[in-house]
Amino acid sequence: MASQHQQAHHFNPQWYFYQPPGQVYHDPVYAPVDYRVQQVAPQQQTPTHQHQAFVTAAGFTALRPQQQRLPVRTRQQTRHARATMASEGQQHAGPSEDEMAEMQKLSNEYEPEVKGPLVGQRQSTNNLTTEYASADPVYQAKTTNLPQKYSHYRTVRGDGSCGWRAIAFGYFETLINLGDGNKFLEEEARLRSLMNTCTAAGYDPSLLEDFAEETYTLLRKVANGMQDGTAENALHETFNDDYVQNFIITHIRTLTAAWMKTHSQDYIPWVVGGSSIDQYCEQSVTPVSSELEHLSLNALKDVLLSPAGITLEVLYLDRSHGKEVNMHRFSPVNHGGYDIGYIRLLYRPLVMNDSFLSRSADISNRGHYDILYMPSDLPPVPVPAAVPTYLQYASQPYHEPVYDLGLPDFMTTIPGMSYANPHQAWVGSSYADSDFFGSSAPVQQCPQPIPAPAVPAPQPQMQAAPVYVPAATAHLVPPPTQMPEELVIRTVPQANVSSHQGFAPQSTGPFRPSTWQLEADMSQHTPLQTAIFRK
Amino acid sequence: MAANKRIMKELAEINNNPLQGCTIKLAKEDDLNNWDVTMDGPPESPYAGGKFNIQIVLPKEYPFKPPVLTFKTKIYHPNVTNDDKGAMCLGMLRADEWKPPNKIVDVLKLVRAVLAAPQPDDAVEAGIANEFKTDRKAFDKTAQDWVKKYAK
Repeated sequence: MASQHQQAHHFNPQWYFYQPPGQVYHDPVYAPVDYRVQQVAPQQQTPTHQHQAFVTAAGFTALRPQQQRLPVRTRQQTRHARATMASEGQQHAGPSEDEMAEMQKLSNEYEPEVKGPLVGQRQSTNNLTTEYASADPVYQAKTTNLPQKYSHYRTVRGDGSCGWRAIAFGYFETLINLGDGNKFLEEEARLRSLMNTCTAAGYDPSLLEDFAEETYTLLRKVANGMQDGTAENALHETFNDDYVQNFIITHIRTLTAAWMKTHSQDYIPWVVGGSSIDQYCEQSVTPVSSELEHLSLNALKDVLLSPAGITLEVLYLDRSHGKEVNMHRFSPVNHGGYDIGYIRLLYRPLVMNDSFLSRSADISNRGHYDILYMPSDLPPVPVPAAVPTYLQYASQPYHEPVYDLGLPDFMTTIPGMSYANPHQAWVGSSYADSDFFGSSAPVQQCPQPIPAPAVPAPQPQMQAAPVYVPAATAHLVPPPTQMPEELVIRTVPQANVSSHQGFAPQSTGPFRPSTWQLEADMSQHTPLQTAIFRK
Repeated sequence: MAANKRIMKELAEINNNPLQGCTIKLAKEDDLNNWDVTMDGPPESPYAGGKFNIQIVLPKEYPFKPPVLTFKTKIYHPNVTNDDKGAMCLGMLRADEWKPPNKIVDVLKLVRAVLAAPQPDDAVEAGIANEFKTDRKAFDKTAQDWVKKYAK
C-alpha cells in the first residue's frame, strides 16, 4: 500500500511555507514554542543567528528558513521584519546551501517525541483555533469556524495507536452518554461472541482472552460507575494506564483483523499492492504501533461501532479548499439504522514535512486523530449545589455562556458553571456559538452592571455586565422559540471573518486583556448584541 | 500483574506441551522474565547434534514489546551476530513487527526454522550470508566445526 505513495524526500523550503505550526507534530505543546520563535525572529538579524536560534529554541519545529515562515504571521509583523532587514542592508535571501544541508541533516535525525497524556482532558476547541492562529489562512479559517459546531476536543497521544485509541475511548464514552446500563451487558455479550470470529480467523482464543478481559472489565467498571457518576473518570483513568489501554487496543486490533479475515470479500478490493487480507492484517493492523488507516478504520467501524449503533464521523483538517473541515460520516444505517450516538474524530494528515518523510515508507497514511465533540455529545453534568463564589473575570480566558441561553434563573446564579443544563435541545442548537463568541465581552453595550442576587459583591468591573444582561433577556424568550434566532445569529461571525482578511487586531474596549489582541477575529463577534437589541 | 499472568500461562502451556527439541526453564526461579532455553540443532542442518543455549528476556512491557533473544552458545549463522552478544533480530522479533498475540513458543518455532533454513537476505552477518549463498560447502563446514567446538 505504502510503496505507491512513497515520496522522494528532499529538503524543500516550499513545504515549510505551507506548514502550519501545529502540523509539524500534532502536539499543542509545540504551538507556543513555535510562536515564541516567531516572536524572537525579528531581533535575530543575521541568517546564521536565525538558524541557530531556531534550532536551539524550538528544535525541529524551527527547521524552516525565516523567510518562508514570516508570511504565516500577521502582515504587520512581516512588514516589520522586512523593514528592519532592509534598513540594515541584509540580503533578503534564504539560507545557504550549507545551511540547507545542515537543516536536512537535522531533520533526518529528528525523532518525534511522543508527549502528552494518552488521552487528554476535554477542552475547548478555541484552543485549537489559538494553536493555528499563526498558520496559513486555510487552517486559520477552518480552525476559526470549528468551534461553532464542535465545542470541545480531546487530545490523544500520537504514538502510532492514536486512531485506535481514539475510537476505543469514544466507544466507551458513547456508551456512557447513552446512559443505559443494559447496553453495557449487551455489548459485553456481543464482544464475547466475537471471540468465535477470532478463533475462525486463526487466533488463539486462550491468549486473546487476556486482552479481551480488560475490555470487559472496563465495560463493567464503567457500567458500575454510571450510578455514582464516576464512569467518565474511570474511563479516563483506565485509558491513561499505559498497560491496560494496550490490552484494550490489542483487543480491538485483533477484532478488526479477525473481522477482515473472515469478511475478506468486503475488504480485498481496497487492499492495494496485491497483498492478501492476511498480509494486510499482519502488516497494518495487528503490529503494536501500526496506525489506523482508512481500510482498517472501515473494518474497525464495521466490527465495533456499527453493530453497537454508533456513528463515526471523521473531520479532516487539511489544506483543501473551503472554510470548514471536511466531514466524512460512517453511519451504521446498514445495521438496522438505529443510532445511539456519535464518535467524532479530528484527523490531521501529516503534510509534507521534514521529519517523518525520511523514516517512514507509509507516509501517505501518517496522520493524527483527536476526539471532537459537538455540544450534544457532552454528558449532562449533574447540577452541583450552589456555592457562593467570587467571579474572577480578569483571569478567565473566556466565559462559559450559560448565562446567554435562556436558563432558569437559579442556574444563572451559579458563577462559572458550565454546560450544566440537562436539556439537550438547547445545548445542541446554540451552545457552541455562544461558547466561542461569548468570550468577547461587548463592554460598550452594557454600561450598567446588573448583579445577580446570589453572588456576593461582584467586583465592580465593567466586564461583569454582559454576563448577566442576557440572563434577564432569557426570561422573555423561552428556549425553544429562541432557536431560530440563534441560528440566524450564527451567520454573523462568519461574515465578519471573511470581511477581515487582514486580521488586524482591533481594540474594542479599554479592558481587553492584551492576549486578545492576537485573536483579532474573536473580538468582532458579539452575539449578545442581538439579544440586547431585541430586548 | 497482568504481564505475569500472561507469562505464567505461556510457561504452563509450554511445559504441558513441550516444543520438540527444546527444553525451557526459568533462569532464576523467582524471575518470570528470564527464560533459559536449550535448543537442539535441527536434524539435517549443519547444526545437527549441537545444543544451543538461548536466553530469552521478556521486557517488562511484554507482550507489547517483543522478547529479546540471544544465543549464549556461539553459532556460525548469518542471522545471529557473531560476537559475545549473539543477538538475533528477525521478522516477528522486530519491535515494529511484533504483535502482542504472538507467543514465545511461536518465537522458538521461528528460531528453529531459521536454524534449519538461514535467511541470508535478512542477515546481520553479511560475510557469513555471502558465504552461505556463494559457497554453501564452506559454510556448512565452518558451521559444523563451530558446533563441535562450542555447542557440545
